[in-house]
Amino acid sequence: MDFEALDVELNGLRETALKRLGEVGDTRSLADWRVEYMGKKSAISTLSKQMGSLSAEDRPKFGQRMNEVRQALETAFAARQAELERIEQAKRLAAETIDVTLPGRRVPMGAIHPISRVIRDIEEVFLGMGFSIVDGPEVETDHYNFELLNLPKDHPARDMQDTFYLTEELLLRTHTSPMQVRTMERMRGEVPIKVIVPGRVYRRDEDDATHSHAFTQIEGLVVDRGVRMSDLKGTLETFAKALFGPNQQVRLRPSYFPFTEPSTEVDVICVHCQGDGCRVCKGTGWIEILGAGMVHPRVLDMSGYDSQVYSGFAFGMGPERIAMLKYGISDIRLMYQNDLRFLSQFTGV
Amino acid sequence: MKVSYMWLSEYVDLDDLSPQALADRLTKAGLAVDGVESRNQGVEGVVVGEVLSVEKHPDAERLNVCAVDAGTGEILQIVCGAPNVRAGIRVPVALVGAKLPGDVKIKRAKLRGVESNGMLCSAAELGLDTRLLPAHQTTGLYILPEGTPIGTDIVSLLQLDDAVLDVDLTPNRSDCLSIRGFAYEVAAILKRPTTFPTTVDSLESDGPSPLTVRLETDGCSRYDAQVLEGIASKPSPLWMQMRLMAMGIRSIDLVVDITNYVMLEWGQPLHAFDADTIADSTIVVRQAREGEVLVTLDGQSRTLTGDMIVIADPDKAIGLAGVMGGENSEISGTTKRVVIESAQFAGRAIRRTGQRLGLRSEAQQRFEKGIDPSAVRNALARATELLVRLAGAQPIGSMVTAHRGDLPATATTSVRFSPDACRVSLGLDISDADMAGILASLGFVVTMHSDDWTVQVPSRRPDVVLQADLVEEVARLYGYDNIPSTHLVLPITPGMRDGRQRLIEQVKDVLVGIGLYEVRSYAFTSPEALRPMGMNESQPPIPLMHPMSDERGVLRTHLLPSLAEIAKHNLAHRVDGGAIFEVGRTYLADALPLTKQPIEREQFALLWFGETGESLREKSRPYDFYDAKGAIERVLAALGVKATFVRLELTWLHPGRSARIVVGDEEIGVIGEIHPAIANDMGVPGGIYAELDVQPLVKHRTMDVTVEPLPKFPGSRRDIALLVQQEVPVGELLETIEMSAASSGILTGVQVFDVYMGQGIPEGHKSVAIALHFQDSERTLTDEEIEDTVQLVVTSAAVAHGAQLRS
Repeated sequence: MDFEALDVELNGLRETALKRLGEVGDTRSLADWRVEYMGKKSAISTLSKQMGSLSAEDRPKFGQRMNEVRQALETAFAARQAELERIEQAKRLAAETIDVTLPGRRVPMGAIHPISRVIRDIEEVFLGMGFSIVDGPEVETDHYNFELLNLPKDHPARDMQDTFYLTEELLLRTHTSPMQVRTMERMRGEVPIKVIVPGRVYRRDEDDATHSHAFTQIEGLVVDRGVRMSDLKGTLETFAKALFGPNQQVRLRPSYFPFTEPSTEVDVICVHCQGDGCRVCKGTGWIEILGAGMVHPRVLDMSGYDSQVYSGFAFGMGPERIAMLKYGISDIRLMYQNDLRFLSQFTGV
Repeated sequence: MKVSYMWLSEYVDLDDLSPQALADRLTKAGLAVDGVESRNQGVEGVVVGEVLSVEKHPDAERLNVCAVDAGTGEILQIVCGAPNVRAGIRVPVALVGAKLPGDVKIKRAKLRGVESNGMLCSAAELGLDTRLLPAHQTTGLYILPEGTPIGTDIVSLLQLDDAVLDVDLTPNRSDCLSIRGFAYEVAAILKRPTTFPTTVDSLESDGPSPLTVRLETDGCSRYDAQVLEGIASKPSPLWMQMRLMAMGIRSIDLVVDITNYVMLEWGQPLHAFDADTIADSTIVVRQAREGEVLVTLDGQSRTLTGDMIVIADPDKAIGLAGVMGGENSEISGTTKRVVIESAQFAGRAIRRTGQRLGLRSEAQQRFEKGIDPSAVRNALARATELLVRLAGAQPIGSMVTAHRGDLPATATTSVRFSPDACRVSLGLDISDADMAGILASLGFVVTMHSDDWTVQVPSRRPDVVLQADLVEEVARLYGYDNIPSTHLVLPITPGMRDGRQRLIEQVKDVLVGIGLYEVRSYAFTSPEALRPMGMNESQPPIPLMHPMSDERGVLRTHLLPSLAEIAKHNLAHRVDGGAIFEVGRTYLADALPLTKQPIEREQFALLWFGETGESLREKSRPYDFYDAKGAIERVLAALGVKATFVRLELTWLHPGRSARIVVGDEEIGVIGEIHPAIANDMGVPGGIYAELDVQPLVKHRTMDVTVEPLPKFPGSRRDIALLVQQEVPVGELLETIEMSAASSGILTGVQVFDVYMGQGIPEGHKSVAIALHFQDSERTLTDEEIEDTVQLVVTSAAVAHGAQLRS
């Protein structure tokens, strides 16, 4: 045999092998193809054994041709194998399709109570402004709840807060304000004082849609030299923007609390109508959310801070009211009924 | 406080200011107006008419056919059903075309065949509040005083064109409890002068008063009185009735109305006694005697206490000072001479008396908030004037005045004021002139010396005594809106929760994360709710002095009843079940009655009730002990607290399914299934309850972590199955295993992965499958040393718990 004849045959084998490779449809047939065209008993192997009959000059030439063909088949095989695997995997995956619209494996849901949520939101705002949080007793003395807050016995302003008494001297606090005094006493004249006091309070109100005999309050107190009423306004404005949105404004209205002077009620722009006037704000565009004022000089003096030297402001707000406004809750009692159909609406807050 | 716009306008010019506009100004200045109500509820076209004749309706038993002159130029035939209709009376006549409240339009009509050209009206039909009318005016036609001009528009006659401002007065503004006081405030707000009548005519006659007054208590600092005779008993004039009505006060009769009218005008409560019931013509103001009995004007017999003040004669009490008169000295139609009292009583005593007796009169409210001492005499003079003018009375002698100590020389208080300090404390740049102007507009007299002013505050403003009070007056009249917003200029302070606060928030987040809902319940409960748990004996609850109901009569000593009640509510509303928790307090008294503040113990209380609820891959099942324990373990892990669960028997928990949660020697909580008998007795569904005390958690929590290096050599696992008697707690078995292998130093983990009872296991036994994890940080362990340790473990388990190794 001469080189040309062998080369023609080799090319023919290559053509056949590649053609058949193109027809191979799965990895099992691919293995058979490999045995048939590239195995020890393949036609190419057989052909290579005839190399000995070539001249010494043609032998390396043919050896090189042979390698080229083997290389080409190897490359084609690898490509075909990869392709087939890809197709087979795609088939397998297609067969593994599940219904992704079925619900996931259940993880129990829980939620924080809306009042706690609001308290936490408010705490975060004031923590960010460098306030600390303090807690105090719910069973208070008449002394701390009233007298040290400039509400002596038989003062008519005590009517503003109908009280649950336990004894003549002990009562359930009607507000978180006694913690103003307790905090100043604990600080023993140190400044600055910047605290908020969240906590439960109690008043002898008949429960209805907007009243509860038990509710929560957050008190705030700042004392230092030179604290101004304008600082109160600025602080509350910052607070209102953080809690209700950047377009908020606060409005102060003169009022009266025995433990602040001057005293003020504080309104924010109605969160419902953004100030246009609606049912919630009775058409005024404003809603009252807290009471505040400059700490009364007598309260400062009684708590060990010379009112000639120090001044401060205090404020108090009701998380229930804020929760009702924020979440559209129309009846305060819903928040103390703890119906899971109600609470489960707060998984997202 | 209800304020008549019309009356007010006599003292301040309100010309270009509508009632609503005035209300807005007042609210801005701190006198919050809750509402403005027109007195006219829709009356139009109603005039005064005289009934000329009355004849029975031919076809209707109860109807009359009246001829009425309403000044229209013709005699109107009007059919009327009121029983008190009679010829000669003057009444409101709604003419054809008139309107009445409730969108009623009067048309020409035929009533049982008889034509009716209008309607005769009752007070209620005119929209008047009949509760505020004299008793005889409340039903039937509203009969007007004789001589009321025919044809007069009823709107102007009854002052229905007035508006009433409902002012929510803060308790410090006693000065605004009168029209005059209110006028001062309005004048200051509007920067307009007051226009009071210059003086009150002094009509007292010369000569001594027949009355003697003796003050025997400090509870009365001043007592003025005037005796008058010849009083005609009759109703008060319509204008006075209407003014009283506008201000929410009921008209009674002329004398009483005059005392009330003067009180509204001057803020000074007055009282009228029948002079002839006063023994020895002597009034004694003294403390009541303990147990003394007085029948008050309302017919109630009142037993008095020593801290009350009475008006008395030498024999008996005749009135409760500042609160209510006595029946024995009440004026009546036969009264010949009256004593009008105008006095100043101590607010505290009056307040206490009213509270004790459950009374809350207009007079009392004014006394307790403080009245203007300068009004005492003026009010008495004004009442005298009105009695003379309207009731035809004659004063007998002059006013009598008694007082305790000296009367104050001036009726003003002097307050020092620093305008600089005012500017600083408000953060407001306001001029001296503006401040002085505001203070002057309030009727305060300002003396300016550089930064040390003296401000004379009239006695009608007892709330203004300090610089801060003046600062508020300046600020509110200058306008709170004008105060700028500034930022605190203070040292930087860290805003951080303390350990306890952080722990509470963290635990809440963990519990919410694993599927619990936070609840908030009331702290009040009933002994009945606590009884089944035996709490009333072990820790008697603190009772409220005046509870609003029995269900909320005591402070809770345990959180379980609160949570169980919530479970009950939910199950009753078709909720399958759930897991809830509360961060709440219980209130624990050392001893009752309470002598000091109780311990307020803060706890996490958790309850799993009902069923888990069905889902696609899980059947619904009742919550069990291990749901609860898993959650507690999760919380403890989050806090780095290592606790053990020790079997516990409490009367209110399932004896076989309850445990104490213990750290070291300290019990930090309990967990267990609610005893079915207790749940039944409480009337609540059962469930798994757990509680953790906050304080010990704060103490035991660890925040520090020192990282152990990761192992460099492979570890090994050996599984063993031990056969033990059923009662053997697995927890103890594991503990024995850990202890026994401790010395080897290579047993790094022990984990139970199966507990099996049933086929192949002897009766009364269980098979516990345990994985033992071995590891050494220095080298790879040999099979021999692992086997040795397994042997050690098995032997110890056999010795301690009679455990057998299952092959």
